[in-house]
Amino acid sequence: SQNIVPCTVSQLLAAEQVDETFRIHDVEISQVTMVGIIRHAEKAPTNILYKVDDMTAAPMDVRQWVDTDEAGGENVVVPPGTYIKVAGHLRSFQNKKSLVAFKIMPLENMNEFTTHILEIVHAHMILRKNLMSASRVPQSFSSAGIGDVGGYGGGGSLPVNGLTAHQSQVLNLIKNCTVPEGMSLQELKFQLHNMSMSTIKQAVEFLSSEGHIYSTVDDDHYKSTDAE
Amino acid sequence: MGDIHEGPRQRIATAHLARYIGQPVCFVGRVEKIHPTGKLFVLSDGEGKHTTVELSEPLDEEISGVVEVVGRVTNQATIMCMSYVQFREDKSPFDLELYNEALKIIHEFPEYFPFG
Repeated sequence: SQNIVPCTVSQLLAAEQVDETFRIHDVEISQVTMVGIIRHAEKAPTNILYKVDDMTAAPMDVRQWVDTDEAGGENVVVPPGTYIKVAGHLRSFQNKKSLVAFKIMPLENMNEFTTHILEIVHAHMILRKNLMSASRVPQSFSSAGIGDVGGYGGGGSLPVNGLTAHQSQVLNLIKNCTVPEGMSLQELKFQLHNMSMSTIKQAVEFLSSEGHIYSTVDDDHYKSTDAE
Repeated sequence: MGDIHEGPRQRIATAHLARYIGQPVCFVGRVEKIHPTGKLFVLSDGEGKHTTVELSEPLDEEISGVVEVVGRVTNQATIMCMSYVQFREDKSPFDLELYNEALKIIHEFPEYFPFG
């Protein structure tokens, strides 16, 4: 699975394990991000073991494997009292959960800590929404990861009820576009001669915030989260 | 009583204090003043409301800026501090108002940001 899901320690501890896989809100998760403060750091020959605390539960064990061939650089121990963002894989051994980190980044801007809180709520809300939606099909998230702008729509058909005529027209054109970088605003304007650019932009903004479309190469190009 | 850090500590603002009496909490705020004895300081939250933080031992350093306190809410709706950390603001200032908005969201959606 290609998802990378921002999580709290409490959510990681609550994840259900079936054989080798973990599930949160019934979605298989593997790669996660987590933000917390280092309470303890222990360096061993092959790994550094951190205890990382985000206040939602007891601190979680985060292990970072040390490249024994490389001297310095990668393997500097981040001191306790530092807020870090961890990207890694969830593991469980003898019923104890931990993370194996592939990336540990000290936060230089503490506003990232606030953003992470918001990203967690958003991501888990979307995961739960997909679980509850009537036309459930196997989940597939964009391989670019959950942190990206726009579409978390996953598989299945999103209801087009509740969209205005303009929004539906814009969405349909974007859905039917087969170009890799998606549909540009200019192309939409060309095809929808009855609609002003500002109406198109408003429709695109709405569709994007609802998760029907997502921007690709820049803010002028969009693809549908429903596209095959 | 056990180490408060081994369990959940709900993130709160001043407005939540009354609701969490006796509970372990985590409070982020800006240092407004420090009592001369060093055993008490006042933090303001993202809404500008003040919370008093008490210490069992006086501070052994000067604190300023944004601080994150872990502790238990007393019957007087102050926080008895078990540990604190200063947020780094050397590269960018911390937006306390935005943090307050995030707090409102996690209080509104505890199912997506569970404590414990």
